[in-house]
Amino acid sequence: MLASLFSLTGCGTYNRLVTLEQTVNKKWADVQSVYQRRADLIPNLVSTVAGAANFEKSTLTEVTNARASVGQVKLDPSKAPTDAAELEKFQKAQGQLSTALSRLLVVSENYPQLKATQAFQNLQVQLEGTENRISVERNNFNTAVQEYNTALERFPTNMLNKMFGFKPRPFFTAATGAEKAPTVNFPTFGSTPAASPAATP
Amino acid sequence: MELLRPLVLGAVVICSAVFANEAAAVEVIPPKPPAYFNDYANVVPKEKALALNEKLAQFERETSNQVVVAVFRKMETDSDIADYTRRIAQSWKVGQAEKRNGAVLFVFVDDRKMFIQVGYGLEGALPDVTAFDITERRIKPRFRTGDYAGGLEQGVDLICKAIRGEYKGTGETVEEKRAPASSGWGPLGFLVMLIIVLTIIRLGRRRGGYGYTGFGGPFVSSGWGSGWSSSSSSSGGGFSGFSGGGGSFGGGGAGSSW
Repeated sequence: MLASLFSLTGCGTYNRLVTLEQTVNKKWADVQSVYQRRADLIPNLVSTVAGAANFEKSTLTEVTNARASVGQVKLDPSKAPTDAAELEKFQKAQGQLSTALSRLLVVSENYPQLKATQAFQNLQVQLEGTENRISVERNNFNTAVQEYNTALERFPTNMLNKMFGFKPRPFFTAATGAEKAPTVNFPTFGSTPAASPAATP
Repeated sequence: MELLRPLVLGAVVICSAVFANEAAAVEVIPPKPPAYFNDYANVVPKEKALALNEKLAQFERETSNQVVVAVFRKMETDSDIADYTRRIAQSWKVGQAEKRNGAVLFVFVDDRKMFIQVGYGLEGALPDVTAFDITERRIKPRFRTGDYAGGLEQGVDLICKAIRGEYKGTGETVEEKRAPASSGWGPLGFLVMLIIVLTIIRLGRRRGGYGYTGFGGPFVSSGWGSGWSSSSSSSGGGFSGFSGGGGSFGGGGAGSSW
């Protein structure tokens, strides 16, 4: 009686874990696709900005390089990583691209002609929208991972998961310095960009 | 004992969900609006507001797309407008659950900011660039001259124009579809009643701590008092109430400040 009850619970638990794991993978795919969406915007952005009269070359190079290193940290888009170090590497590369992009947007404040073009405005809107989507999908992914990991630890699941090979998944860590918009001051350009806080004297 | 476990767990989950809800008190997420067009800031004449509300209700009947307008005085959050309004739109569940075809135009009059939140299912028909074009180049010039009614009407028309044709409607709104269910007294009817009662209690409780009071609720016609489950007439001078269909939002959309 007890044994059959236990096996029933076990069966239900197994199914539940499979569902939760699938949700984690699905959310991971969503995360990947929004990051890809951002990466796809970059060639267009770079060519639009490069067209502007004497645009700061170093900013552009930084974006191009960050885009390239993001391309090198390819993770399986259909399966959430199990290795925390792997995810960390991915997050770091994406974080560098975020930094490079926001720096580029800050620098572009100094090019009113560029900012006034519809092509640039559209790209800026798309980039902002993509950043919003990234933060949403990262949160959704973290929520799914948390639910799955919690289920794994709970009795009697914790006895079963070893048997069936379920592994806890790492999640995205809160915005570190690399993820936040940088504060950039360009004394050589004169006016302080609106996006950066007033410099302390 | 084992059999009781799910029940106990369920109760724990519900309790913790309630507490989690209560704990996040810093930011105010306004409760679900009663109408499609909600002017909490009183910047649009009542007749105009009613007309736009009916237009949006009719739009849902024809296309199943749910478009909601919410005009507030101020944002009550530390987050930026994109983040904040996405959470609001998500909590209102604007759009149908499967199609995720909701869009919400948020306006914060005192902050001079607006944002169009676009549900997952409308991101193709109403991309960020189009949303930006609507707020920046169509609505903003009118808002700058203080013409809120004109700007909002223009915004509503353009949003509807962009997303019409994406999905087919059923001739009824979510609110109207819900109505017949409660008249059949089966176990289902009971369940629906229970949900409605719980929702009313919940809404009432939320409204208690709600920061936008003082400006009064949005204008709704006198017919609204009877509107919870009785189906509002789709023709004639009736008022069409709004119910979210379970839509979700993933950060699509754009906005402007003026």
